[in-house]
Amino acid sequence: MRVFLTACVAGLVLAMAAGAQAYHRFWINCNYDSPAFVTTMTRDAAQDYANAARYEGYQWGGGCWNYDDFDSYPYDPPGDPSTHGEGGDCSGLTFKTWRESEDTWRDGRYLWRALRNAHGPYDARAFKYGAGAPNHVVSKAGAGVMDAFASDSHIGMVFFRSLYGGDQIVEAKCESCGTNIFFRTYRTPSSYGGVGRWGWTG
Amino acid sequence: MGLDRLSLGLVIPLVLACAACGHGGRPKLLLHGEVAAEFRPVPGSVISIARALRGTTLGRRFDLCRPPSVAFDALVVERIGVVGESLTFADRRGRTLHSCDGGIDPAGERSPPWCGGSAGLLFDGRLLDPRLDILCRDSTGRPLAYAWVEPVAGAHWIAVDQGAYAEIYEVIATMPVRIATAREIELARARARFDVTQYDVQGRALVRATVEASVAG
Repeated sequence: MRVFLTACVAGLVLAMAAGAQAYHRFWINCNYDSPAFVTTMTRDAAQDYANAARYEGYQWGGGCWNYDDFDSYPYDPPGDPSTHGEGGDCSGLTFKTWRESEDTWRDGRYLWRALRNAHGPYDARAFKYGAGAPNHVVSKAGAGVMDAFASDSHIGMVFFRSLYGGDQIVEAKCESCGTNIFFRTYRTPSSYGGVGRWGWTG
Repeated sequence: MGLDRLSLGLVIPLVLACAACGHGGRPKLLLHGEVAAEFRPVPGSVISIARALRGTTLGRRFDLCRPPSVAFDALVVERIGVVGESLTFADRRGRTLHSCDGGIDPAGERSPPWCGGSAGLLFDGRLLDPRLDILCRDSTGRPLAYAWVEPVAGAHWIAVDQGAYAEIYEVIATMPVRIATAREIELARARARFDVTQYDVQGRALVRATVEASVAG
């Protein structure tokens, strides 16, 4: 009887642990540390930061990844933040790359580590209209490296300007396509607007 | 014993009276001073104003936050509650649902009444997620959270637990209902929680659920 009860308790504990793991998934590796206040923010460094997030996956409402060039939880159902997978979404990647604050009235520079689970208060539409002290609307024709193009439902940052009718855009695009650099023509359609970050130091 | 009974006789009514008159009481007025009605099936509740109007009737109030893809004369659902107010409308092609969310912009960039907004892609007329907006503050500086709730079949009233009272939203114009709260908002994690109960037209509870919303997309 004692053996049976012990086995029952052990099974229960293991079942609960498996459930917790299923729920937390990748986010169990993430943290909520404070960001580091920094005084500089160069476009080169922002390119490096966004480039390093390539291949790390996509998570709706997410903002946490490691640097193993592999999406730990691909094929999650779209539009569901509770799946807690690896990667940022489009606005989360932009928020962290642009070193923004969670307080919309702060325009300082805050370095977010990759495993710091931060999305920020802005969605793509908020970026599109320049919401928050650090953001502003720019002309699409004048948008340069690490400025962005935003619509009501998506935002991507200019990685390289191109002369061939489009740009190399670094973006967290979708669950099935992940985070990567893609050739896009966001400069053309009226649904996209240009948006920039104040405070680049180089 | 007699003294104990006397004390209880005095204390119990006093406690009940304080509970009714304290800060946790039901608000008498809505955001702009309108007298708040009560939804009888939910004692102590407050019914927010809901009306469907053309954008042209709202005039500048609508034009201040109207995206270019939305017609001037679009059908707009205007809601005014205790702490928040909002507009909900769709674009010309009916593919995207938009909101204008009311309050104060802490960055000081937008003039009242609007301080934020959301856009959600419609898939067969439904949203994938609640499109949480946490950019606004109320007049005392508290964060506000706005989100859409999809009414279940047969739902006519949606109640949101606001702590001391329940705020009731009427389902109109077959659009998702933009709800607002000033509680259970986690700014550092860009998410908010809404305790929601949906009622049919007679006030019978159909569904009770907690909506966990995150800023996304």
